[in-house]
Amino acid sequence: MPGVYISYPFCAQKCTYCNFASGVFPRQLEQDYLGALLLELGRVRWQWTPETIYFGGGTPSLIPAPVLRGILAQMPGFPWREATMEAAPGGITADLAAAWREAGINRVSLGVQSLVEPEIRRTGRKHTPDIVSQEVALLRAEGIERVNIDLIAGLPGQTAESWALTLDRLEALHPDHASVYMLEVDEDSRLGNEILLGGVRYGARDVPDDDNTARFYETAVDRLAAMGVPRYEISNFARPGHESVHNLKYWRREPYLGLGSDAHSFDGRWRWRTPETPAEYVKLVREGASTVMEREEADEAEERFFLGLRLDEGIAAEPDAIAPHGEVLERLAAAGLVETTSQRLRLTRRGVLVSNEVFQEFIR
Amino acid sequence: MDPSHIRNFSIIAHIDHGKSTLADRLLEVTGALSHREMMDQVLDSMDLERERGITIKAHAVRLDYRASDGDMYQLNLIDTPGHVDFTYEVSRSLQACEGALLVVDASQGVEAQTLANTYLALNHNLEILPVINKIDLPSAEPDRIKEQIEQVIGLDASEAVLASAKQGTGIPEILEEIVRKVPPPKGSPDDPLRALIFDSWFDPYRGVIILARVVDGRIRMGQRVRLWSNGRTYEVEGIGYQSPKPIPCQELAAGEVGFLYCNIKTVSDAQIGDTIVDDANPAPEALPGFQEIKPMVFAGLYPVESHEHGLLRDALEKLRLNDSAFNFEPENSAALGFGFRCGFLGLLHLEIVQERLEREFEIDLITTAPGVRYLVTLLNGDVIEVDNPTKFPNPAEIKQIEEPIIDATIITREEYIGEILKLVEEKRGMQKKFEYIGTGRVLINYELPLNEIVLDFYDRLKSASRGYASLDYHMAGHRVSPMVKLDVLVAGEPVDALSIIVHREFAYDRGKGLIERLRRLIPRQMFEVALQAAIGNKVIARETISAIRKNVLAKCYGGDISRKRKLLEKQKEGKRRMKRVGRVEIPQEAFLAVLKVAGDSSD
Repeated sequence: MPGVYISYPFCAQKCTYCNFASGVFPRQLEQDYLGALLLELGRVRWQWTPETIYFGGGTPSLIPAPVLRGILAQMPGFPWREATMEAAPGGITADLAAAWREAGINRVSLGVQSLVEPEIRRTGRKHTPDIVSQEVALLRAEGIERVNIDLIAGLPGQTAESWALTLDRLEALHPDHASVYMLEVDEDSRLGNEILLGGVRYGARDVPDDDNTARFYETAVDRLAAMGVPRYEISNFARPGHESVHNLKYWRREPYLGLGSDAHSFDGRWRWRTPETPAEYVKLVREGASTVMEREEADEAEERFFLGLRLDEGIAAEPDAIAPHGEVLERLAAAGLVETTSQRLRLTRRGVLVSNEVFQEFIR
Repeated sequence: MDPSHIRNFSIIAHIDHGKSTLADRLLEVTGALSHREMMDQVLDSMDLERERGITIKAHAVRLDYRASDGDMYQLNLIDTPGHVDFTYEVSRSLQACEGALLVVDASQGVEAQTLANTYLALNHNLEILPVINKIDLPSAEPDRIKEQIEQVIGLDASEAVLASAKQGTGIPEILEEIVRKVPPPKGSPDDPLRALIFDSWFDPYRGVIILARVVDGRIRMGQRVRLWSNGRTYEVEGIGYQSPKPIPCQELAAGEVGFLYCNIKTVSDAQIGDTIVDDANPAPEALPGFQEIKPMVFAGLYPVESHEHGLLRDALEKLRLNDSAFNFEPENSAALGFGFRCGFLGLLHLEIVQERLEREFEIDLITTAPGVRYLVTLLNGDVIEVDNPTKFPNPAEIKQIEEPIIDATIITREEYIGEILKLVEEKRGMQKKFEYIGTGRVLINYELPLNEIVLDFYDRLKSASRGYASLDYHMAGHRVSPMVKLDVLVAGEPVDALSIIVHREFAYDRGKGLIERLRRLIPRQMFEVALQAAIGNKVIARETISAIRKNVLAKCYGGDISRKRKLLEKQKEGKRRMKRVGRVEIPQEAFLAVLKVAGDSSD
């Protein structure tokens, strides 16, 4: 059953590490955008019922509760198996949480990134570790039991000690789901750009090197496993049975529909996207024009490897699919990067850390 | 025309001292060209020449000039190449003249290149007419420059013409001086034909076009001529002169300069300096001074994309049609695949060929470190020439190695002389002369190994002198030196394209610098990679590139699979452009690292 992704690219501030098409836009555009989103939703002819809904951003927790209700009311399938709201810690009230729950939200993903104050502040975020624990408690009290905590390994100033502290505090939150990303350095984020240019802003000089970042990640893998929250995907960890149903669709190549700007869709065969900027999106929707862009047929032979292998369960080692890559797989296995157990092909622990090197082998 | 009314001259000038502007003025004043035609006509030459402000090919332009004595004169301006790589070509062009204008910038003064070419002209007994140019500049000091010309070159400059080619001052005086002082050509139109080839190029429609100076006799349409050096005969199919547009004519007689073509297929058959004689009635002797042009600097050229090997060969063959000074032969490198070992006159020549290949033929190239040709005497007494490190004989079989030496002249301001002396000493130079020439300027003369010049000498000299140094050199034989072959091993495998020949005393520093640089240029691989510099079996320096620790894509935000795929594709493409040696992917820049390892290893 398909999932629905709703993109809300607006934020109260742009975080230094963020390399997405989201950020701070004029207030009027935000309202126009919500209007366009409702308009587009109204045009969807639901020949299927969404299994999952995911509000991603940006900071979709900024969507006013009545508007959110309006958006969710247009989609069939309430109560959904999983309806996730991404949220920046620091703005969640009991009323808001209750409104979310009533509208159908049953999972919240908190962009915590770090639980050490100076690190949080350097990214441009305003929350504190206390706020995070209060809000997690509050969500649970209002009946939203499923909470994900996002963390980033490799933030400026992070050390083995500070990372351990973040993980200690994470443990105290008893999460049933966590995401741990390693900082991506590219020219699309302010911090990444500063690092590439050799500058000093945003703590660029204090970013841990690759080796340390990799070490932090592995520490997190071990610590989370010990908490009973093992890794099920390169960046995702869950208490068994609490994996994100929506996110699994991406890796398992199940269909999803993306709405809003910079949203991505897959119908099992074709992939397409919507315009990158909210302004462009609003314009197209108002004109009644299609928002479908860059529609192309997915290459299953490639994707089953570079998506499927991200999962801890790996992919079925069916002879038909594996045979064409026999030589590559042998080489990767000999290098200790992949392994086959119980008829599943999986990345090894080291393979996970250099997974791009593995995936490239399957890109034509 | 009667030889008594012919004057053949060239212009000697340092780059930027105003040679082209002066030439343009002479053309304009004699009416060869209107002002408007000047731009597109005169400099009808390679883009490269225009961009770099240097002349690579010679030109010869005939000017008709009515002198103050009322007579018409035929003035032939022979424009020569202006770079040390082309000294031989310059000498042939000068041999075609009886006089030369020595153009010196009124504020800059005499530079090394000017000096060298003036000596070359004096050796050919040319009448030198000093011209002090750019006197319109506020910083002009014509008296000081005159003094300098007298002191440095030993030339009477009392009658030097003061000119500003830009403003047109002094141009009539220069023309009068040429008529009055440059001797008329000596040969007789009635003697058997002898004509000097001083340049040639390939024209796709007519074959090779030769620029020649008729020394004796006449050359006519339809005449059967013979080239002295190779004995081949041809029938003259076209003949004429440039004014500056090509103007066909029936014959060129003793003293005259012009072009001819006779269905020659490749410029290597019409070599610069060769003598054209009549096939039926050959002159008994050739003109003096002919030399086979010998490449001095050698490098491997490899296509980045190995499937472009055939393309590169075709391109080299085409270039060679037009440039007999460089040669190439197929070479096979374990690291770089199939390529060509090429010989060049010098570094500029190498750069020109490289740029033409990339620009005109659109081939991405990897060029290995340029080197020189060594004379290696083996224990069995055989002497072999080695210009390729990979062909270097086993050290156990070598009795001695001789390396080519140059005689270099550098002129600079005295405030930079300290830095420059440090540089030439570092480059194993031997001082032969140190002289103050006029206020604040110093001339030094050094014997230097050519090997040290081809590495990075120009760049270093430029930075040591902030650009205020001029350099000229000529070959000065060989000298026995303790040279060794330095190999680089990547993950235990020797990378042939990174081997260099180096003086034993420099081997350690250079090896260390080189692998330090490589450590920064070769990306981390899936495994630890050892880098070693070795002489024979002895490792003299070692570095390690640790294995990649992470290469992970974190987010797949909102199911954006294409972005992910694009990134993987980009990473894969990056690798595809690297050369794989054993298990290690080496980027192109690494092969250039060899070029920059002198002295300090900093970037």
